[in-house]
Amino acid sequence: MTSIYQPDLMEVVEVRQQTADVKSVRLRFRDEARAEDFHFRVGQFGMFSVLGCGESTFNICSSSNWKDFIEFCFRRTGKVTDALWSIDKNDTVGFRGPYGNAYPMDKWAGKNLIFIGGGIAMPPIRCAIWYALENRQDFGQITIVYGARKVGDMVFRNELERWAGYERVRVVSCVDPGGETPDWKGEIGFVPTVVERAEIPADNAVALVIGPPVMIKFTLPVLAKMGLTDRDIYTSLENRMKCGVGKCGRCNCGPLYVCKEGPVFTLEQLKQLPNDY
Amino acid sequence: MSEIISQAALRQLVDAWLGQGRRAVGPAQVKPGLLLYAPLRAAEELLLEGYVRPANSIKEAVFPRHEKLYGFRFHGKQIELVDAEAPTQQQLVIGARPCDAAALPILDHVFNWDYKDEHYNRRRELTTVVTLACREHDRHCFCTSVGSAPDDPRGSDAMLYDLGDGTLEVRTMSEKGRALFAGRTESSAKVGQAECHGLSECHGLSPCHTGPEPRLDMAAVAAFLAGGFEDPHWAAWSARCMGCGACAFTCPTCHCFDMVDEGGASGGAKVRNWDACQYTMFTMHASGHNPRAVQGQRQRQRIYHKFRTYPEKFGTPLCTGCGNCTRNCPVRLGVLPVLQDIESHAKNKPITVRTL
Repeated sequence: MTSIYQPDLMEVVEVRQQTADVKSVRLRFRDEARAEDFHFRVGQFGMFSVLGCGESTFNICSSSNWKDFIEFCFRRTGKVTDALWSIDKNDTVGFRGPYGNAYPMDKWAGKNLIFIGGGIAMPPIRCAIWYALENRQDFGQITIVYGARKVGDMVFRNELERWAGYERVRVVSCVDPGGETPDWKGEIGFVPTVVERAEIPADNAVALVIGPPVMIKFTLPVLAKMGLTDRDIYTSLENRMKCGVGKCGRCNCGPLYVCKEGPVFTLEQLKQLPNDY
Repeated sequence: MSEIISQAALRQLVDAWLGQGRRAVGPAQVKPGLLLYAPLRAAEELLLEGYVRPANSIKEAVFPRHEKLYGFRFHGKQIELVDAEAPTQQQLVIGARPCDAAALPILDHVFNWDYKDEHYNRRRELTTVVTLACREHDRHCFCTSVGSAPDDPRGSDAMLYDLGDGTLEVRTMSEKGRALFAGRTESSAKVGQAECHGLSECHGLSPCHTGPEPRLDMAAVAAFLAGGFEDPHWAAWSARCMGCGACAFTCPTCHCFDMVDEGGASGGAKVRNWDACQYTMFTMHASGHNPRAVQGQRQRQRIYHKFRTYPEKFGTPLCTGCGNCTRNCPVRLGVLPVLQDIESHAKNKPITVRTL
């Protein structure tokens, strides 16, 4: 009997250690036919499992243009991520998805894009960044602000330079005061302050802001001051999930199920939701 | 004219069903003082009178409390997935209360919006539900306030009406129901008198033992919920909740579940187990952040899900008013007392967390 809860088996193509406790993993479907017909949109997520251990929810942080593999990124935190920590090339991981809505990249066409990420929240932004860069002609100025507590906490750090190499792209990276290393060339300061002094072109712009609640809280007024409306500001929520398909009953945020009606919301939508996240 | 069946013939029908290797579930005294919907070994175990309702619900028949979703085997580094076995056994749920059967079409929406849950759907297809219209209620029943009734036809393949003389009127509502009773009923002039939309006004039924059924002003409740998310009373309404989850487990409509891996070195299975929104860990993030960290938030979630979130999506409350949540609650909370308080609050009447 087919089950909506049964995963596809995926081969681990590559594991990269990003920080002391973060790794990114590239996966390929073991079934060729499945690999052929698999499609997703940036911003969607999947349920990734170490069979016999458990299943966790992660954003698919690769671009939807990449056909050879999908990628996800995790921090070693609990039972499942502990098991994921020890997987290696050629191992098998279970995958269900893609689930949820996606970033409205079509709607963002022709606009200036502002990506603001904090810490481990970079992966769900990274997929959109690559997608935008691969369709460079469709978008205006792209500004990427990435902040972490300290230099060693930055994920996909090597990609920041590559992004900066594209035309009309500006990358601003920052670490909290005290988090810098002697050779740190980026900014020092908290994300909201850095955004404020970066003088980002904000006309005809949309912003994708993902990070710890405190970062989001203080960044939003800055964006408002820059002239962005609640409809121009997007974020991606995370809530604990088990099924990913709107049945297990826990990820709802008021009336909306993050797994189905999210995880991507505008600030306008978010303000209408009760404080349940 | 009506179709009737004697109690004896009804039991023969159940025994004949069981005789063909099929499963039957009905109200049975599993031990002194405990009446449950339980698998029947013989029709004589079936209890059809002398109670308001069993302590559990019939959802177990279509949504088992522990269920294998798929299996996996390890061969060295190779992993093999094993499809879940499709349920094949036909089952008869007999003597269900209408408030239990009415939960099934409600659950159908959950297990079929967008993604179709075959585990649930197969069991549902294999199940025939015969309900027994209520003649009595207790102080925890409130079906008539939430769009249900003592003879709510939703989810029933056939409904029985006790005629009080050892016979029951049979009203079939589906092909499954007609097939089950084909050739087993006889025509009679006696017509079931359970055409009753509220036991407080029951016509010709046995008198209600505890006065009129509690009635709620659901419009007032809905008006409160429209803006009551941050109301400070949620803390009071949950203050005595112990977070045991008995409300959810015995509710006909609660369907939240957990998914876990079970097994060992050679393989195992992904199983789903019932879960409950009243548990601390239910929404706990890996980071330690918990959107519903205190009981008041969890109680609020339960009430909102049942009376706002689900109705907005699917048009009916996620509740049939069976009262099991209160009946089984060690501290007599549950939907009814909370909604009664919400109603009082909405009407600016003094509220006390009611003790029933």
